[in-house]
Amino acid sequence: MTEPDRELIRVRGLNSFYGRKQVLRDLSFSVEANRIFVIMGMSGCGKSTLLKHLVGLKPSPPGSIYIEGKDISGWNHAQWNNYWLRIGILFQNGALFNSMTVAQNIALPLMVHTNLPKEIIEIMVEMKLHMVGLSGTGALMPSQLSGGMRKRAGLARALSMDPEILFVDEPSSGLDPITAAGLDELLLSLKETFGMTLVVVTHELESAFRIGDQMVVMDQGRIIAYGTPEEIRQMNDPRVQQFLSRRPDEEHRDYDSYISRLCKVKRR
Amino acid sequence: MKRLTDTFGFVGRWILGIFVGLGRIGIFFLSTLRGIAYPPSKTGLVIKQIYFIGHKSMFVIIFTGAFSGMVLGLQGYYALSKFGSEGFLGSGVILSLVRELGPVFTALMVVGRACSAMCAEIGIMRIDEQIDALRCMAIDPHGYLVLPRLMAALIAFPLLTHVFDVVGVWGGYAVGVKLLGVNPGAYWDGVYRSLEWQDIWMGIVKSLVFAVLTITISTYKGYYAGVDRGSRGAEDVSEATTSAVVTSSVTVLVADYIITSIML
Repeated sequence: MTEPDRELIRVRGLNSFYGRKQVLRDLSFSVEANRIFVIMGMSGCGKSTLLKHLVGLKPSPPGSIYIEGKDISGWNHAQWNNYWLRIGILFQNGALFNSMTVAQNIALPLMVHTNLPKEIIEIMVEMKLHMVGLSGTGALMPSQLSGGMRKRAGLARALSMDPEILFVDEPSSGLDPITAAGLDELLLSLKETFGMTLVVVTHELESAFRIGDQMVVMDQGRIIAYGTPEEIRQMNDPRVQQFLSRRPDEEHRDYDSYISRLCKVKRR
Repeated sequence: MKRLTDTFGFVGRWILGIFVGLGRIGIFFLSTLRGIAYPPSKTGLVIKQIYFIGHKSMFVIIFTGAFSGMVLGLQGYYALSKFGSEGFLGSGVILSLVRELGPVFTALMVVGRACSAMCAEIGIMRIDEQIDALRCMAIDPHGYLVLPRLMAALIAFPLLTHVFDVVGVWGGYAVGVKLLGVNPGAYWDGVYRSLEWQDIWMGIVKSLVFAVLTITISTYKGYYAGVDRGSRGAEDVSEATTSAVVTSSVTVLVADYIITSIML
C-alpha cells in the first residue's frame, strides 16, 4: 500500500508531437498516491497520448515527466521494466491476446515474472476474474466475450501483478450504464481496499465526478481546468462549463444553415 | 531547372528511404537477438512455431517438391536426349534441386503460407494495442513475438528444404524412369555420383539465410503496420502483408544469386 499525499507522478511543461502536429501543449500536473486522478476532455483532445507518455509508450522530452521524483526521459531498459512491473494498464478495447484464453491472458505476466507453481497461478487467475465479475469465463477466447466483458477481462489482466499504479483508458466507453457503474465501483474499491493509485482517462462526466479525487479537463492539447471535482464544477471558464453542461459548439448546433448549404450545393 | 532539382530530390529521397529502411530493419533484428537474454522462456513458443512453420507447410512443400522434380525430369530428359545423354538425368535433377530449387522454392512457399500469416497476426496485434500491452507487462515484444519465430524458422527451413529435395528426386525418377524409360540404375548412379557435401552445405546455408531474411522482413512489416502513418486500420495490415510477401520473395531471389556467386 502506498502512503497518501505522496507525489507519485509529476508532469511539468509536457509538449508532444505527431510529426509536425503538436498534440499536447505545456501540460503540468501532479498525481498523488492513493488517489484517483481523472483526465477528462473531448475526443481527440490528447488524453490517450498523455496516457502513452505516462506509461512510457511514447518517449517524453527531458524534464517533463517525473515518477517518484525521477526523470523518466533517461531511463534504461531495466528501469523501464521495473516501472512496468509496478503498473497495470487497461487499454481502451482490452487489448487481450486473441490466440489465448481469458485465463491464459491473465496468467501471462504471472508466468513470465514469477516462479509461482501453476496451481497457485490458476487460483490467482480465478480470484482476479471473480474480482471483475467474470468468474467461470477463464476458458473462453476473447472473441467469445462481449465488449464489456472484454474490458473487464483486460482489467483482470492489468491487476494480475497487483500493481501500485493502475492506468485506465476509457473504462466505461461503450458499456451500458449498469455495467459502467459496476466498473466505477470496482475502481473505487481498488483504491480503498488495496490503496492503489489510479489514473483514469475518460469523457464520461458522471463516471469522472463519481470516482475522481483530482482531475484535469483538456481541450485541444491544453489543460483548461485542474483541481478537485468541486473546484472544477465551480470554475467559470466558458469552455469548462460548455464541457460540463454537454453543450455542442455553435457551429455544430446550426443544423438549419448546414442543411440549406448542402441543398444549395446539390442544386448547383 | 526546377524539373531537374525535383528529379534529383525524388531520387535522393528514394535512396535515403532505402537506407533508413535498412537501418530500421537492422535495429529490429538486433533488438530481436537481444530478446534471448530476457524472459519468458522461449522453448514452448519455439515448438509452437516449428509446428506452424514446419508441420503445417509440409503438404505444400511435398506437393511443390514433387512437381518441381517431375518438371525437371521432363525438361532434363528432352534436353539431354538431344545429345544422347539421358543417363545424366539423375545428376541434373539432384544438383538443380539441392543447390537452387530446393532452398528457393521452399523459402517462397513458406513466405506465401506462413510468413504472410505471421505478418498479419503481428499487424493485428499492433493495431489492437496488444504489442503495447506486452511492453507494459515488461515482456519484450521482440523476444516474445519475433525471436521464437526466427528460432523455429532456423530449424524448420533446412528440414523442409531437405524434404523438398528428397520428394523432388523421386518426382524426377517417376517421370524420367517410369514414364520416359531412362535406366533406373543410371538415374540413381547419377544422383549418388554427382552429389557432394559442398552441394548439401550450400543448400543448408541458403535455407538458413532465407529463414533469417524472410522471418525478419515479415515480422518487421507486421510490427510496424500503420506506425509510420500513425493509423490503426485493417488497410494497414493488408498493406503490410502484401509488402512482406513481395519484399521477402524478391529478397530470397537476390540473396540466392549473391550466395551462389560467393559459394561456387
